[in-house]
Amino acid sequence: MSADLAIVLPEIILSVYAMAALIFAVYTKKDAMAPTLVLATSALFLVMALWIGTGGSATGSAFNGMLQNDGFARFAKVVILVSAAVVLLLSQGYMKQRGLLRFEYPILITLAVVGMMVMVSAGDLIALYMGLELQSLSLYVVAALRRDNVKSTEAGLKYFVLGALSSGMLLYGASLTYGFAGTTTFEGIVQASEGGISLGLLFGLVFMAAGLAFKVSAAPFHMWTPDVYEGSPTAVTAFFATAPKMAAMALFARVVHDAFGTVVGDWQQILAFLALASMFLGAVAAIGQTDIKRLMAYSSIAHMGYALVGLAAGTAVGVEAMLIYMTIYVVMNIGTFAFILSMERDGRHVTDIAGLNMLAERSPGAACALLVLFFSLAGVPPMLGFFAKYGVLLAAVDAGLTWLAVAGVVASVIGAYYYLRIVYFMYFGDPDARRIDGTIAPLNAGLLLASAAIMLLGIVNMFGIEGLAEAAAASLVN
Amino acid sequence: METILLFAPLLGSLICGFGYRIIGERAGQIIATGFLFLSCLLSWVVFLTFDGVTEQIQIARWIESGSLATDWSIRLDRLTAIMLVVITTVSALVHLYSFGYMAHDEHFREGETYRSRFFAYLSFFTFAMLMLVTADNLVQLFFGWEGVGVASYLLIGFYIRKPSAGAAAIKAFVVNRVGDFGFALGIFAIFFLVDSINFSDVFAAAPEIAETELEFLWTTWNAAELIAFLLFIGAMGKSAQLILHTWLPDAMEGPTPVSALIHAATMVTAGVFLVCRMSPIMEFADTAMTFVVYLGAATAFFAATVGLVQNDIKRVIAYSTCSQLGYMFVAAGVGVYSVAMFHLFTHAFFKAMLFLGAGSVIHGMHHEQDMRNYGGLRRKMPYTFWAMMIGTLAITGVGIPLLYVGFPIGFAGFVSKDAVIESAYAAGTQAGGFAFWALLIGALFTSFYSWRLMFLTFYGAPRGDKHTHEHAHESPAVMLIPLGVLAIGSVFAGMVWYKSFFGSTEAVAKFFAVPLQTEVHAVADGYAEDGKADDSHSAKDDHSEAYDGEKTGDGKGYDDGHHAEFGGAPGDGAIYIGEGNTVLDDAHYVPNWVKVSPFVAMLLGFLTAYQMYIRRPDWPARLAENQRPLYLFLLNKWYFDELYEVIFVRPARFLGSFLWRRGDGDVIDGGINGLAMGVIPFFTRLAGRAQSGYLFHYAAAMVLGIVALVFWMSMTGIN
Amino acid sequence: MDELLREYLPILVFLGIAIGLGLVLILAAVIVAVRNPDPEKVSAYECGFNAFDDARMKFDVRFYLVSILFIIFDLEVAFLFPWAVAFADISMTAFWSMMIFLAVLTIGFAYEWKKGALEWE
Repeated sequence: MSADLAIVLPEIILSVYAMAALIFAVYTKKDAMAPTLVLATSALFLVMALWIGTGGSATGSAFNGMLQNDGFARFAKVVILVSAAVVLLLSQGYMKQRGLLRFEYPILITLAVVGMMVMVSAGDLIALYMGLELQSLSLYVVAALRRDNVKSTEAGLKYFVLGALSSGMLLYGASLTYGFAGTTTFEGIVQASEGGISLGLLFGLVFMAAGLAFKVSAAPFHMWTPDVYEGSPTAVTAFFATAPKMAAMALFARVVHDAFGTVVGDWQQILAFLALASMFLGAVAAIGQTDIKRLMAYSSIAHMGYALVGLAAGTAVGVEAMLIYMTIYVVMNIGTFAFILSMERDGRHVTDIAGLNMLAERSPGAACALLVLFFSLAGVPPMLGFFAKYGVLLAAVDAGLTWLAVAGVVASVIGAYYYLRIVYFMYFGDPDARRIDGTIAPLNAGLLLASAAIMLLGIVNMFGIEGLAEAAAASLVN
Repeated sequence: METILLFAPLLGSLICGFGYRIIGERAGQIIATGFLFLSCLLSWVVFLTFDGVTEQIQIARWIESGSLATDWSIRLDRLTAIMLVVITTVSALVHLYSFGYMAHDEHFREGETYRSRFFAYLSFFTFAMLMLVTADNLVQLFFGWEGVGVASYLLIGFYIRKPSAGAAAIKAFVVNRVGDFGFALGIFAIFFLVDSINFSDVFAAAPEIAETELEFLWTTWNAAELIAFLLFIGAMGKSAQLILHTWLPDAMEGPTPVSALIHAATMVTAGVFLVCRMSPIMEFADTAMTFVVYLGAATAFFAATVGLVQNDIKRVIAYSTCSQLGYMFVAAGVGVYSVAMFHLFTHAFFKAMLFLGAGSVIHGMHHEQDMRNYGGLRRKMPYTFWAMMIGTLAITGVGIPLLYVGFPIGFAGFVSKDAVIESAYAAGTQAGGFAFWALLIGALFTSFYSWRLMFLTFYGAPRGDKHTHEHAHESPAVMLIPLGVLAIGSVFAGMVWYKSFFGSTEAVAKFFAVPLQTEVHAVADGYAEDGKADDSHSAKDDHSEAYDGEKTGDGKGYDDGHHAEFGGAPGDGAIYIGEGNTVLDDAHYVPNWVKVSPFVAMLLGFLTAYQMYIRRPDWPARLAENQRPLYLFLLNKWYFDELYEVIFVRPARFLGSFLWRRGDGDVIDGGINGLAMGVIPFFTRLAGRAQSGYLFHYAAAMVLGIVALVFWMSMTGIN
Repeated sequence: MDELLREYLPILVFLGIAIGLGLVLILAAVIVAVRNPDPEKVSAYECGFNAFDDARMKFDVRFYLVSILFIIFDLEVAFLFPWAVAFADISMTAFWSMMIFLAVLTIGFAYEWKKGALEWE
């Protein structure tokens, strides 16, 4: 019993912290406590990340396989915690300026993070659902954080309703799986699907995949993404684009490999379909966007498509490539959103792409960093984004999915257009357009530059992430 | 020393080409020229002190890729040493000459800097050419080969405001591309068979190559024949041999010093050098070598006929060059590489001088190039006249036939050209016979057009623009000194190095460091079977004497040497002479009429020219009138350009414009634009419409997605 | 087969009783009830709303809030019932799990109370 608790100690600590902070804040100065809480939460996240990352926390399987704290989970948890901490810090200035910095915000983020941590270490359908819902419910609330804004509430509501629908699908799939496998543990499901999958299990798999696809915003379960990204406060959008994506993708990997690892051929088709649809839809639909947040939404759909390509390979190499891809994706998005958060005109936050016209003239440093990031997002060598794409495509080719890799390349050519269009605006745009005129806060500027620098310097050895991802993938796929 | 020699021109080129803004144009020119004279001095030191043993001097590790491992190094053997002195001497003199020639140029505007550019190109060319001849492997050679091609392109098109110069530059480049394609294929074939491109490996493998069959163009070839043929195609392009010769006359659009350096003395001889360099393979390719002989002879003849009627002074010399290159190929083709190199060596002196002399005339006549507008310039420019006279005596081959005083007496061209013609006869094959007659007639024509040039330019009454004639002047000293130096070479080069290139087999073998077969046999026998050594040796002697008896004509005192035969494995020494190839030896024993015939041809040509241009200057016009079709045929260079225009240029242009308009414009651009501006925006709009903002649409999309997945999986999923 | 059917027999009995009781009550109402209708009486009843009106009418969002908060405690009871029924057999882990659950719920309750979510004004 105490061994089990030791394994989930980080989650317990975070949960207790969240509840303690809630009670403490509500009985003291309420929203005035928020900045302190943001700092404390970020610090706690980083400490946890360090603790988990250095192998300080106990590993193994807890509660009869209900939760697995293996190398894979730890890799995902570190990425989630660090990105959540960074985005939380990043959002503080933005939220404060707009009177959105309620004390519940860091607490909800903490609860979401706990949900994500449960998700990535789920070893059982019930743990899976519990983590997923904890995360989702927290996110529904933060999406609608700006209660006096129609778009924000609309975003929260849409997210909630569609999220409920997807949860329904997931639950339906989980019930089918339970019904036909006779157990909710992943180990049991694997045994049940040994030597071929029954039709009932297959349907369970399809429905669960649909539910998970919603969480990673893969087409055609992506529809919520642009509206929610656009409507939510930008700081929340930044959060949506980073940690939850990593968590959902890791959970997806866990389900297909831990629970259905013996029937790779069956889910490979599903994932390949989702990947294909996402890559193309993300690339094609982003072209027409005028709002950078919507653009980033489609961008994230396309990126999830590429990560799914790695997952669709169904091999350890594929999982490794997916983990590296997601890590690089998260870093790129943090940098990009650090800039988007600071886009202002006449003191108001704007997100229209036209505002970026001739940015190079006004702030050449930021324009240059953004150029690197967009090139990296588009997958132009020698930026790190290229190697991320290269990794997943290579994994797909090795797994015999050459057609998918080719489609990925084609989609990335289409996708390059909208990234480069922004670069075009920044350097050769219309000087008479209504341009942004705000200044970039030091923290944002630092993160933007750091992110761009990582994209360039990372090509040396990717800061050792490769080796960690390989070990993580090996612990998941065996 | 060799390294300094090699890099001095590059350094000069870089300093002159990029540094002139800092150090000034004149300083740049002086530095480039100074470096070349340094290079020249070192070359002569190398040439005169070189003992013939092949050396390799590594400069850097160059390529490592798979099984391809190659150093960047200098291969120093006799061939390289000869080429070094030829290149650096002519180049240094041309640099010097260019001070005067390029001093003023109406092709450039006042105050425009063009001289430093010119000198930089010249020096760069020299570097590339040195790279070519010092190459230790085929790719390095190819690098130099293309380097000189680029330099040639830049220099032909040096007059950037002259459209014809640009066209000529492109033509030279494109025609060379055809040859280079063959050359590259040859290199590929060698690498394919030998798995190495280093000369030492390739040469050592030559006997094996000769026994290999290779599939190429749906036909099975002997590998050595194929490789030799492909390499020769490269040589044809660079050395302007028939079929690929059309660029050389047009290349005269470049400044005259360029013509002297690149299109007479050095670059165009690269093909000959290549054939000699690859002699270990060529020796195993009899058919290919027969082809070389035929083509060389045909070129020599063809170019000489065209030269008869040209009116542009530089074009006459250009065709003369083309023709002389044919001579060299004939010599190489019949297997006497030393003679080919000999003619290359002497030709470099007198042809460079002829060009520089012509340049001097052109300079003095304010860039008038038509000989019909010259006349009577002997007194206006006496030094130039004498230089040209020596050059003409050299190229037409003036000397004293049948006299031998340890060496023949005559101008450089006399010695080397006669050697070529005698070798062709001595080859004893059908091709050799053809070549002999073609070259002989070629010699007659050469004599005619060379004297025609002299008579039209320096004798008779002044013709053309009177004003120009009044202002005709002798060139400055910087232009005359190179002429003087080259004149010395034109007179003595043949006599001094006669023995080394065309002496007894032993002398030639020693010069090129080729082992002799008798030695090899004696040594081998001596080690293997001591008892029989004497017998076998004496048997050899008997055989040699019997061989002597069969020869007609006297041996000019070569009796000491002609028992010897070349031996050694391919790659020993600078050239390789196959077993049983005794053409060099035989050439000394050709009948006397053969030895005299080139002289007679020369005399005939001279007399005809004298008759037509000095005694009866009205004859040429009447002859042209009477034989109009022939005249036009020759004047239009056998209509090669027109033929190519119809066969290659127009179809290529049609294909090009078809692919451009239809293929690129309609299909590719149309396709891409249609995709990028039609199809994808359509889908973008579609996706935009789907993103309606209505919750039930979104939910419907999800449901449809799951329906599709379920349907698909239930169709295909269960296996 | 018989065995199976016999196990379902109580359900059949229950069904019969239910139908019978329903019929008895309806009949009893028809027979004995005093009938004195007025418009307010005959209209269908729905808590807080007019029965026949535009379905898209506005209503106070606080209804929703209160009902949501109320449902949480409904669900809590749903968890407590099986726990209570099996209380004799469960381990200490199960006992403390429920205690923690209740504690967490209490924290949420304390929060919403302090936030003022329960006040109607």
